Parts: sequence; structure tokens; C-alpha cells
Amino acid sequence: MKTTINEIDGKLVATFEGELDTAAAIEVEKDMKPLYDNEDKDIVIDCEKLEYIASSGLRILLGILKKAKSHGHTVTLKGLNDDIKNVFKMTGFINLFNFE
Amino acid sequence: MKKLLAKIKKHLNRRTWITLIIVFAALLLELFSWAQYYYTKQLLEDELEKKAAIEMTMKAILVKSMLNTTEQVLNSHVTEITKLTKDPDDIHDALRTIVEANDYFTGVGLAFKPGYYEGHDELYEPWAFNTKDGVMVKDNIAMRGGHDYTKFKFYSEPMSTGKPYWSDPYIDSVETHSFITTYSVPIIDKNGQKAGVAGIDLSLEWLSDSLNNRHMYPSSYCLLLTNDAKLISQPAKSHARYKDFDDAIKLINDSTGRARVVAKSKIKVIEFDTEDGKEACVFFHHMKGNPHWMIAVVCYDDEVYAGLNAIRLRTGLLMLLGFLLLGYIIYRFLKNNKRMAQNELEHERLNTELQVAKRIQSEMLPHDYITHDNFDIAASLLSAREVGGDIYDYFLRDDKLFFCIGDASGKGVASALIMSVTHSMFRSFGSRESHPARIMQKINQAVCHGNDSSMFVTFFIGVLDLPTGRLQYCNAGHDTPQLIDNKARDLDVKSNIPLGVDIDWFYEGQLAELKPGNTLLLYTDGLTEAMDAKHDQFGLQRVKDTIEQHQGDTPQQLLDALHAMCADFVSGAVQSDDLTMLAVKFIPKEEEEIILHRELTIDNSLSHVPEVNDFVKSFGDELKLEEKDTQNLKLAIEEAVVNVINYAYPTGEKGDINIEATATATSLKFKIIDTGVAFAPTDAPDVDTSLTAEERQIGGLGIFLVRQLMDTINYERIEGKNVLTLTKKLS
Repeated sequence: MKTTINEIDGKLVATFEGELDTAAAIEVEKDMKPLYDNEDKDIVIDCEKLEYIASSGLRILLGILKKAKSHGHTVTLKGLNDDIKNVFKMTGFINLFNFE
Repeated sequence: MKKLLAKIKKHLNRRTWITLIIVFAALLLELFSWAQYYYTKQLLEDELEKKAAIEMTMKAILVKSMLNTTEQVLNSHVTEITKLTKDPDDIHDALRTIVEANDYFTGVGLAFKPGYYEGHDELYEPWAFNTKDGVMVKDNIAMRGGHDYTKFKFYSEPMSTGKPYWSDPYIDSVETHSFITTYSVPIIDKNGQKAGVAGIDLSLEWLSDSLNNRHMYPSSYCLLLTNDAKLISQPAKSHARYKDFDDAIKLINDSTGRARVVAKSKIKVIEFDTEDGKEACVFFHHMKGNPHWMIAVVCYDDEVYAGLNAIRLRTGLLMLLGFLLLGYIIYRFLKNNKRMAQNELEHERLNTELQVAKRIQSEMLPHDYITHDNFDIAASLLSAREVGGDIYDYFLRDDKLFFCIGDASGKGVASALIMSVTHSMFRSFGSRESHPARIMQKINQAVCHGNDSSMFVTFFIGVLDLPTGRLQYCNAGHDTPQLIDNKARDLDVKSNIPLGVDIDWFYEGQLAELKPGNTLLLYTDGLTEAMDAKHDQFGLQRVKDTIEQHQGDTPQQLLDALHAMCADFVSGAVQSDDLTMLAVKFIPKEEEEIILHRELTIDNSLSHVPEVNDFVKSFGDELKLEEKDTQNLKLAIEEAVVNVINYAYPTGEKGDINIEATATATSLKFKIIDTGVAFAPTDAPDVDTSLTAEERQIGGLGIFLVRQLMDTINYERIEGKNVLTLTKKLS
């Protein structure tokens, strides 16, 4: 599991790559600290290369979303594959995020 | 006509009706009172007339008797006196004897034809008097104070007619000066010549006193009048109404036209007003024979009808009371009627509500007949009333059959209510908790809380693990269920105590292993205590006998048989208690051939998660599952395992987690086994996916995802191990 965070066009763009299982989630949560700390930018998460996500991954995304919303910013998920989109549908997370 | 009445009714409100009724009642009262008065007055009038007739007859007899006595006395003496005419001295003695004979004689004497006695005065009239100093005899009272007896009718009438004569009343001017009447008869001498008359003076005062010594009424009085209505006898001057008798006499004198003849008699009556405005009446009639005098009786209305006003008042009061009573009775009657109508309405409403309650209660029972490979179930409930205190329920969750039976103390609405509470709590706690004893514990706490009415509920909860036949159960004072294999046996139950009695009671759960084909029968005491007309009970033995006669029957057939036997036993006696039964037959699934079996054991560290994921992926790949399905399996197993890693062992404690994956032609099964603390992940609440980001809790998604991705998830604590079984059907 690899993650990167860049600032592009005034937005924080994180890229997720690989399998976000529960074990990986521990590391990812630490890596996402900039997103938690962000107070002034909208967030985009690029999931084009994300192959798998467990509920611990969803929790991280929900944590980022709650934080961003509390500062009036949006979180946009990009390029989700069908399997992962299905998980979003099952959990109702599809209603919470913006998708591209 | 009806329309008109309806219109009138509509326009008259209640107040107007009441006023009208009161006015009508008052008019009726007055009418009755008046009629009563009139009738009573008539009665009193008749009574008065009868009394007056009797009074007058009595007075007439009195007068007649005095007159007769006088006549007899004189008649009997006159011959003797005639013989004595030679010697005046003898005459004196005879007169003295006669006058002494009666108190009411004031005098007796003889008046001779002028010049009849030689050697005597021309007018000779020896007379004896009754004075207050005794009898006094005067030799001759003629010409005393100019008294010329030949000018008096008492002398001239007998002398001319030769017949006895009663004089009109006059004042004796000679001696006594009293008011008298004189009876006189002619004296015939031995030559057959009229020698003169003999006479007796009768005291009219004495007669008056006699006539008036007793009265019909306090103020009434009696008058005696001559034929031409001159006063003979009158009341004493001391009499209260003394001054009225002149008016009465005048009226009698002038009676033409005014007098009314009293029915069936010769008595006449005249009604008149006295000077002082009193209403009065005078009755009068002539005595028979000679003298042809008149007797009159005067009465006053205020005395005659004195009782009348009192009677009228009393009758009026009585009638008023009667009316009030009648009114009250009518009022109560109407009110009762109204209340009865209201009661009827209320009853109808209650009935409707009870019917609704009955429907709700029966709708709360499980109606969907659950068809399942692992069991067959049947249940029935017969309420003794509209709503009952019995309940049964069953539902499936995670390869477990939850079922219960209960009986609330008492019958009817109160027990139905407490049973509804118990029932809904069974459903509610049963959706989160798989252990019967813990469900029972929670229901007990809820039922005890605020149970001031001392109601209690006997309850039995069973949870049958369908893959294994393990029956977890807990009994709270309910009738012992029957476990049926080749015969009916009592299920080993700790009786505990009923729900709602002791909030701190620890309910102990028990376990039984159902063998293939075993049936469990639950029932309420409505079955064993069903009574026939002689109050004999159906009893447990009959239940067992019936069961044994129906070996191998389906649960439905068993219940039908029990109902039939029970109905046959009570044979039409009124059902006294609710009758509820539930039967479950355990049918294990046939084992399928295992085509793939893999196992993995890890310790409780999250770092092993990728290993688990690889294990599932390779299992899926071996079975040549679609990539998408393998991904879903991987996610489900990861979530289940992570749950165990997180919760099975206390923090820092190491422990193994074993994962068994088996595949048959139709399904995949994953068993995740650990030796940690008992923990049922299946009891976790569902996640509400409709909430907003702000409302969503971080966490709780794991088991939710497992449920979404797998077909069944089932937890059992077996021999100190937590066994979580996930299955997925293969299409």
C-alpha cells in the first residue's frame, strides 16, 4: 500500500495505491495526518490504483471527511473501481462523498 | 306530522322542555287540588245537610216531648179540676200540684167564663206560679194591672172552638214576667157547658236553653218560631252569634225563591252572608201537628268547612310531594336510561377496542410459516377471552431459531398488556442477543421496572442452533416443555422464577443437544389445566399419552391431535384459560461432499491480516471463483477475523485464531475459531447507512459488511471456544 499527498490547483490530492486492508490502514492513517490537519483546502483522493479497501480504510476516509466538512471543505474521491464502489454502496458511504 | 314534531323538538331546547313540564305539573297539581276541594266540599255539604236534618228532628222531638208532656199533664188534670170547681180552695191545691210537676211550667191556672161563679168577681182566674221563691197560688189574677183574660187568645180560642190551643209567645205581665206560651183547653161542667179554660204556662226560656244546650258546631244555634215565623225560642244573649238570628228570621219570613229544599226531605235551606261578612246558612222546617211551629238551625261555613282548607292544604302538599317523587323517579329513570345507553355505547366501544386489540395481538404472532431445511415448526394460541395473556413467538436470525412461549398471570387486558411488553422485548433483545438466559435477564429487568401491579409472567426462551442442533434455553417458571424422541420426556429445566418478581434474579441458561427428528413441545397451563364440566383437569399424563400415540407426526399434526384430545376431554365446557402450544422438530441438513478444505492458524495480530487475505484469495482461486466474488469473500473474512483479533483476547494477551475454509458443490463455509472470551459479534447492532457524515459513527462497519457480503453468519460458543461460521451459497 502506497500513498502520496500533493497540492495541485489549491487542492490537497492524495493518491492511494494497492490494497488498503486493516494492517495497511494503521500506516495509512498516520500518512494522512496532513489531510486531518488541513483547514483551508478541498481534498481529492485519487483511488485509481486502489485495488481493495476494508472497513478500516473506510473509517480513515470518514475521519478525513468529518474533519474537512467541519471546515467547510469537500472531499472528492476519484477513479474508484466497481468492487470498491460496491462497498461504498453497501455501507451508504456513496451518499457521503463527492465522486469523479 | 312527524316532521312537524321533529321541527318542534328541534326548536325547543332542554331548558324550555323542563319549564314546560314544570308548568304542566303545576297546572295539574292545581287542577287536582281544586277537584279534591270541590269533592270534599260536596261531601261536607251533604254531611252538613244530614247532620242538620238529624239535629232538627232531634230538636223537634225535644220540643214535641215538652209540648206533649204539657198537654198530657193538663188533659189528665182537667177533668179532675172540673170536678173541683165547687170549692176554690181545692182548686188551689190542685193547681199547686200541677205546677210543681214540671220545671218548665211557670204557671198553671183556670180562667172562668165571666160571671160563672156566684159570689166571685165577674172575671175569675185562679192561677198558681212557679217563682224562684217557690210555688205561689193567687186566687184571682184577673184585672191585676188591667189583665183581662177574655181578650187573650188562650181563653177566647178554646172557648170559641172547644179545642185545645197553643198561644203564641208572650211576656207574662201578671206575675213571672217571663217569656211564655200557654196551652189551654176548655173546661166543660157537668151540664156540658163551657165553664172556662184551664191553661199551663210553658217557659220559653227553658225551652230555648234546652234547644241550645248542644250544637252541631261551636257557633251554630237553634231557633223555634211560630207558624208565622215569630220567635219562640232563641239562643242565650251570651251566644257568640246572638245578633245574627234576626237576619235569619227575616230570611225565613222572606224565603220565597231563595230557599232551597234539601234533597229527600222537607227541610229548606237558605244561604246568606252575615253583617260581618261571614257565610252562613239556615235550615228550617215546620213541626208536624199542632202547634205548627218551625225549627231553624243556623250554621256558619267557616266552621262547617273548617277542615276543608286544612284538607286541601294537606292534599296539596301530599300531591306536591307525589309529583316531586314522580318527577324524581322519571328523572332517575331517564338518567338511568341515558346512562344505560352510554354504558351500551361504552360497552360497544370497549368491544370494538377489544376486537382491535385481539387483532393486533394475533397480528403480533408470527404468521409466516417458516420453511427451513433444518426444522419444522407449528404453533397455536386459543384465547379464553378477546385478548389473552398467552404468547408464543419465533424468528430466525443467523442460522438460529429463536422461540418462546409465555403466560402472564391473570387473564384479559391487563395480562395482555404485560405480555405485549414482554413479547416486544423478546423480539428486541433477541435481535441483539443470542443467549436465552441473557435475553431473559434483560426482559426481567424491564418487566420488574415499574411493575407495581404485581403481575408476573412465566416464560420460556429457546435458541436452536440449526447447524448443530444445540438448544440453548432458559426457563422462567414456565411449564416444563416436553422433549420427544421415541417417547415424551420432561426437558431438564431449572424452574428459576417468573419474570417480574425479582429484579436481581440471576436467570441460569441451559443447553440440550437435539438429535435428528427430536421434537420439542412447549405449552401453557391452559393445556394441562383445561377443565371438563366436572372440573377435572386434562393433565400432563394425557398430554404425554397423546404425544406417544402420535410418534413421527409433524409438529402441526401433533398440535392438531392435542387440540382434538383436549376438546374431546372438556367436551364443550367453557374454556377457562388461554391455551397455547408450540412444537419444533429438528431436522439436520444432510452432509454434502466436501470438495475443498483449507485451514489457517494465526495469532491475534493485525499484522497477519494480509496472510488471511492471501489465504482467502488462493482458496477462491483454487475454486476458480470470479475475481469479484473472491474480493467480496476476502473482505468478509478479513472483517470477521479483524473483529476476533480486536475483541477475543484481552489487550496484550496472545491467542490463536483458526480459520477453516470448506467448499461443497453448492456452498462455501468459513469457520473462525478462537479460545478467547465469549463474544458474539452477531449481537452487534446494525449500521444505519442513511445517516449523514456528521451523524455516522466511526466503527461498527465490520460485521455489517460481513452480513452484507455473506449469506449467513452464525456464532456459537462451543466447549470454551467462540465459533463464528460464515457461509456463502454458490449459484
